[in-house]
Amino acid sequence: MAPHLGSLRRLVKPLGGLGAAALVMTAVACTPGTDESGSGGVGEAAAKPVRLRMLYATAEADATAVQSLKPAFKQRFGFDLEIDTQPYDALQQKVFSEFASNSSYYDIVIVDTPWAPALASQLEPLSTYVDNAALNDVAKADIADFVPKVFYDTAVYDAKHPAKHFPDSSAAPQTSAITGKGFEIYGLPIQANALVMAYRKDMFGNAGEKAGYQQATGKPLTVPKTWDDFTSVAQYFTRPEKKLYGTTVMAGVGDWATDDFKSLLAGWGGDGHLIGDDQSITFDSPEGVAALQYYQDLINKHKVVPPGSTSASWDEAASLFDSGTTAMTANYHTLKLDSKVKGEIGYAPVPTGKAQGPHFGTWMLSLNKNSKNKAWAYRAMTWLTAAEQQVAMTKLQLHPTRTSVYQRITTGSASDPATRNFYQVLGESLAVGVGRARLTNYTEVSNAIAKAVNKAASGRTSPKQALDEAAAEVTRLLKDAGYKVPGS
Amino acid sequence: MTRGMTMTSTQRGGVAVRDLEPRAAATAAARRAPGRARRRRVSGGATPWVLMSPALAVLLLMTVAPAAYLIWASLRSGTLLNPASSFVGLHNYREVLTDPNVLHSLLITAAFVVVAVSVELVLGLLIAVPLASQSRSNNLAATLMLLPFAVTPAVSAMIFKELLNPNYGWVDHYMGVLGLPSQVEWLSNPGTAWVALVGLDVWQWTPFVALILMAGLQSLPHEPLEAAAIDGASTWQSFRHVTLPMLAPFLAIAVTLRTIQAVKTFDAFKIRTGGGPGDSTEIINLGVYRIALQSFRIGAASALAMVLLILLSLLVPVLLRAVGRNANPEEI
Repeated sequence: MAPHLGSLRRLVKPLGGLGAAALVMTAVACTPGTDESGSGGVGEAAAKPVRLRMLYATAEADATAVQSLKPAFKQRFGFDLEIDTQPYDALQQKVFSEFASNSSYYDIVIVDTPWAPALASQLEPLSTYVDNAALNDVAKADIADFVPKVFYDTAVYDAKHPAKHFPDSSAAPQTSAITGKGFEIYGLPIQANALVMAYRKDMFGNAGEKAGYQQATGKPLTVPKTWDDFTSVAQYFTRPEKKLYGTTVMAGVGDWATDDFKSLLAGWGGDGHLIGDDQSITFDSPEGVAALQYYQDLINKHKVVPPGSTSASWDEAASLFDSGTTAMTANYHTLKLDSKVKGEIGYAPVPTGKAQGPHFGTWMLSLNKNSKNKAWAYRAMTWLTAAEQQVAMTKLQLHPTRTSVYQRITTGSASDPATRNFYQVLGESLAVGVGRARLTNYTEVSNAIAKAVNKAASGRTSPKQALDEAAAEVTRLLKDAGYKVPGS
Repeated sequence: MTRGMTMTSTQRGGVAVRDLEPRAAATAAARRAPGRARRRRVSGGATPWVLMSPALAVLLLMTVAPAAYLIWASLRSGTLLNPASSFVGLHNYREVLTDPNVLHSLLITAAFVVVAVSVELVLGLLIAVPLASQSRSNNLAATLMLLPFAVTPAVSAMIFKELLNPNYGWVDHYMGVLGLPSQVEWLSNPGTAWVALVGLDVWQWTPFVALILMAGLQSLPHEPLEAAAIDGASTWQSFRHVTLPMLAPFLAIAVTLRTIQAVKTFDAFKIRTGGGPGDSTEIINLGVYRIALQSFRIGAASALAMVLLILLSLLVPVLLRAVGRNANPEEI
């Protein structure tokens, strides 16, 4: 017979609670435990540990390259380096929960720049380590060798005011200058990703294409250096009947749309950080509106991007270029054409407008404040980020963070011309790139801006209206996170 | 109770008198020694609680404790890494309930749940009715039907996203072959994005609904249907007036469980649209995820989760009453 519905209701009522309780789990925090840091093996004479443990990113910071160093690490240190890797979202949750529980399990933790404002107070300050010669006996930290913008943007924070950027990001890093201004070093950069333009070198070098472009525009076909030229070249290569388009955009809702926009914003002379250090909203400026108008026109007026671009992420953009669907693209990493596509790839900086400021995002190795092996963990960090190791890891596509490494890999003959070309452009882009605003809720803010970019990109809203709405939304988000927003 | 009454009526006479004697003696003894009797009553009353205690402990640990923690966290400020949170009263609730994006997301989530569960219920019923009669071919068909249900939602979302890609996806290719409009930007327009998202949910979860309804159909008694056939009812009339009312409790189970599951949907939206185009598919769980697991604003996330918990707790009895209203009144 039919089941008793009264009993059923009694059964399902708590199930309703369970259903929501599953959502609740997303909100359940870990209660911080006791501080076990103690001395934490911080002295230079601390005994060698049995092993060191490192928490690392699977794809975004090239785990394969770092894992390839494990045999050399064992040989150099005499003990193992255990590397646990996690995909991005899981990694962020793991990193935060490790620190929230004051865990000493991982000695070294990789930190992405959007997380650092919230994490800075949990990381071991490194300036005294860097200045201690005895702790730099395996490999020197040599912080002056890091690409200045990358180093300051990634690793230098004022823990009391984590929203502030170091005021002079072009000077060669020195601990005295950093600490003298009230800042500290919270890690050593290991991977630097920047938005770099890739193009079909074979198409740009094709005699027929050159003649065709000359005839169509009256100008020689060259790799575009300005946004105007970029539009012109993209229009020329757009041939929908052949399923060929000029370029890709990453206009789907996600951090990538924000990255596309902030690169354009900086190119139009605006503040590529989007939000000022005092939390003033800067992305809804006239430069921002003009930059977003350009983006909208590229998609809706000039129609130089493949169908579906307003739902594309960096991954789809890469797939479209790799499959030969577009002549140009901008992405964070090297690309490889599918085997059926006969062609060659070249790299160039993203075009310039009034200014230049391609987005960059970087990762650093940080020392867990609760580690019991701080001295050896620091030594491991200096060794892993040293120039020699970074050069070795470029064979597996690591994006280096040291100036000397870019000099070595772009001038020598150790790598193929395409790889040299990529690293040359990456090094140039990092030198002029613009990082992110330093906010504890950057992901929420970035999402609000990405939604505005997506709405404008799809033509449903004007750039001005989209940015105005986003500014209001971002102001609310900043206030919810405890920030004071000037003028609101 | 009915069985007890029957026994009393069939055991009149000496047996009943014999049964009453010790009871009267016990009552008299209780009057004489009230303390002892109370102890016995207390002992008897505690036994069910003792027997239920393992289940209650699990329930307390799995549902009540997290819910209590959630309430506590929702009334406090602070983030995951800032243990020095303070009591803020209803501030987090005010923040959540006055956020137009949250209200927009709640409406969108409700619309998704209503549409997806309704379609799944109709399709599930259409599948369950022919497959309910047990035969070798039906068993094979039922097994095949369950395959989408067995695929991990995140995996199916990724596969569907590739299939719908307007540049190299199979869907676009075969639509072109069939002379239908090609290069449809499925995930770029709000309307088509919703079709794609609901379509995936229906593909994935209709087998679950069908499975519940098949079990229900197979458990229904044959006598009412035979009586209806003797009375000259048509197949449709039998289904409409006999089968469907008897199936109401199973429909209630399917609707309730699927509603709870649909409210929890997250993977497909995160992977396929991220809430876009714009904020047109921004279901509430995407917001909870960003606040709780990316910004780690625990107070605000807990308040939002509490709102959902309350809404869902109110919704479930309403659903049971609405869907099960045709069931036997004695069983409601």
